[in-house]
Amino acid sequence: MVTFLLRRLLQSVFVLLGITLFVSFTIRLSGDPAVAMFQGSSAPTQEQLALIRERLGTDRPFVEQYVDFVMGALRGDLGTSFRSGGPVSAAVVARFPATVGLALAALAISLVLAVPLGVLAARRRGSQVDLAIRVVTLFGLSFPNFWLGIMLILIFGVQLRWLPPSGYEGPVSFVLPSLTLGLILASSTTRLVRSALLDVLGEQYVVTARAKGVREEAVVYRHALRTALIPVVTFVGLQIGGLIGGVVIIEQVFAWPGLGSLALNAISYRDYPMLQGTITVLALFIALINLLVDLSYAALDPRIRYA
Amino acid sequence: MRSSIATIVLALALSFGLAQPQGTLTIAQGQDPQSWDPIDTFFLAWGMVGSSIFDGLVHRGLDMQIGPGLATSWEWIGEDDDRLRFYLRQGVTFHNGEPFDAAAVKFTFDRLLGEEGAAGPQQSNYTSIDRVEIVDDLTVDLVLGSPDPVLITKLAGYGAMIVPPGYVTNNDAETFNRLPVGTGPFKVIDYVPDDRLTLEANADYFRGAPKIQNLVFRFIIEPSTRVAELQAGRIDIAQGVPISLAGSIERATGARIEAVGSPTVSSLRFNHCAAPTDDVLVRRAIAHAVDREGIIDVILEGYGTPIASFQSAMSFGFDADLQPYAYDPELAQRLLAEAGVPAGTRVQIDFIGSDAIFREVAQVVASMLEVVNLQPTLVTHETNTYYNDMVPENRVGNLYYSGWGGWTLDFDNTAYLLYRTGQFWNPCFSNEEVDRLLAEQRGTYDQDFRQEALQQVARLAHELVIDLPLYQHQNLWGVADRVQGFVAPADDRHDLLNVSVGN
Repeated sequence: MVTFLLRRLLQSVFVLLGITLFVSFTIRLSGDPAVAMFQGSSAPTQEQLALIRERLGTDRPFVEQYVDFVMGALRGDLGTSFRSGGPVSAAVVARFPATVGLALAALAISLVLAVPLGVLAARRRGSQVDLAIRVVTLFGLSFPNFWLGIMLILIFGVQLRWLPPSGYEGPVSFVLPSLTLGLILASSTTRLVRSALLDVLGEQYVVTARAKGVREEAVVYRHALRTALIPVVTFVGLQIGGLIGGVVIIEQVFAWPGLGSLALNAISYRDYPMLQGTITVLALFIALINLLVDLSYAALDPRIRYA
Repeated sequence: MRSSIATIVLALALSFGLAQPQGTLTIAQGQDPQSWDPIDTFFLAWGMVGSSIFDGLVHRGLDMQIGPGLATSWEWIGEDDDRLRFYLRQGVTFHNGEPFDAAAVKFTFDRLLGEEGAAGPQQSNYTSIDRVEIVDDLTVDLVLGSPDPVLITKLAGYGAMIVPPGYVTNNDAETFNRLPVGTGPFKVIDYVPDDRLTLEANADYFRGAPKIQNLVFRFIIEPSTRVAELQAGRIDIAQGVPISLAGSIERATGARIEAVGSPTVSSLRFNHCAAPTDDVLVRRAIAHAVDREGIIDVILEGYGTPIASFQSAMSFGFDADLQPYAYDPELAQRLLAEAGVPAGTRVQIDFIGSDAIFREVAQVVASMLEVVNLQPTLVTHETNTYYNDMVPENRVGNLYYSGWGGWTLDFDNTAYLLYRTGQFWNPCFSNEEVDRLLAEQRGTYDQDFRQEALQQVARLAHELVIDLPLYQHQNLWGVADRVQGFVAPADDRHDLLNVSVGN
């Protein structure tokens, strides 16, 4: 277990280094932040541009800039924003709860919906209920999340006025954006729970349990579902990355001051340190989630042990 | 007698009470500039907010006329009009209590023109100022190193906003970026990046106390969300209503659309270094092939005005007699034949992919060019890459989008930067006559001469078809009916002093 953990942590370090190197390199291909400061306004002189590059430190070799960033990151210092002049770490820490809270709320909604619906569809395979669940989830998979978000805003924010259409104003603000993300994730997860459970319900040990006269609820919930959830947990773990990507878009729709808008603004202003810092923290978060997913397998299936 | 005095006191108290700022006005705009330091920005989004926090020596009102600001009057002195003397307003204080005086003016311009300003985009607008000299506490001279006929207007906004020396010196740059202090009608209370900026009325404001007590700017990137917030009654004013959503506000109760002609104009610039648009006949043919009125009617739903030169009617240098090239596809075909351009010749149109309106415009222009037997291709770019790399380095096709319009409302701001040889934004075009006129009008304060010179530049631009001016934009503001006294600002810079909010 400890060996496994150490190996995975070591892998994560290399993944993080790879991601930060890639992001740091590619954003520098997008152009000069000194020029970006003048976007469509006045005409900078070469002397001005040189002065700005010196101030920002972008006149130094890339390797030097990258090593500085990594060494700083190891100390918890992600650099200084080109745009605001403030520390990147503070900005990322301030935004982290909004984004991760939204992602977790969406995840919770998706699981709360997907597991019972998937089980229901599997237990009533071929019935009208199964058909209805499959059709509804197919609809859910077909909606782009920004469209669903705008529809939810119009219905619950504008017409019914039950919920704030946008903004980050407390727990009630989480409802619409997390529903937007959660409903779409719930659609794919419901279908996966259904098919995984159907597979497991055909296994020998389930047949044996039934032959022994174990109640059907106990067969499904105590024996089959735990095993069926392993691929679901893997899937949901993998979806965290996609969910964070979805959050970036949904943050725009719902005017949500999270890491997504921070990263998008950083791209727009070519704020290298801010983008590097935001991506590093998000990548770290996703790597940790994937580690937790791997560790959860043993809890779900006692047969699984880590060497 | 006693009851009369009591009545008078009560009436005074009530009238005083009524004059007190009250209520909250919430404005949603699409962009958060991320830094509120005046020397650190070029965004219109900054101007929308900055005009409520800061003041300049002069003030430009909603009628776009220049009047006294922090200076009550000014005059040109010196033998060559190289010294601009300002007489400052007495008794003004910054939001933090610092006094406004000549030292604050000197500090502001020393900072703008010094090392700190050099690292920002505003300094280049004020390089005509050589130095600032304090005459006494309330008199200050701007000593010019070179003439700048647009300087007075420039002193009304952006980089020339007066900042408090003590606050700026005693705090780090990030603090001033985040929680700026000015002399304006509203004081900054709190700033949550990408969410909101909260301000409260400055009851001691020298132009009088605002009518509203609290002012909140919310930053909502998605236009349909801004409109939804307006329709839900949670904001009072929505900036940048998309044309496609204007109808839904007009039809609904509780809000209205206020449209105002913007200084921003849109054009397709020609690449003079690439065939076939290096030939004036081809450029003229293309100008005749494009139906501006049709584009404005159909795509802009009427919220636009055709233009003949790359400026709006608000611009100094506008010539009302200059008319756009008439839509005449047959003439266009004849001109192309005369230029020896074979049917099916490829022309590339570059523009910014995220601009939904211009994407439609570009598609329509492409179809119009197909009518005259050209073969257009459309290439889209990301905004920053487009403006910072593609245009300055001339890595664009035959025609490329340009949206322009300085807040100074002077054609110099457009023509000098886009037409003068060797300018950053003009990688290719060169014409001696245009260069001469542009240089001459910059070297004099004779506004009649300048106007004639700029009009002549516009006529030359038209004759040489330097670019293809399309239309002047109209900015659409969604305004809740409970808002009174709001005037949509043509230059995007709010003056909210007389705005009130009912129930």
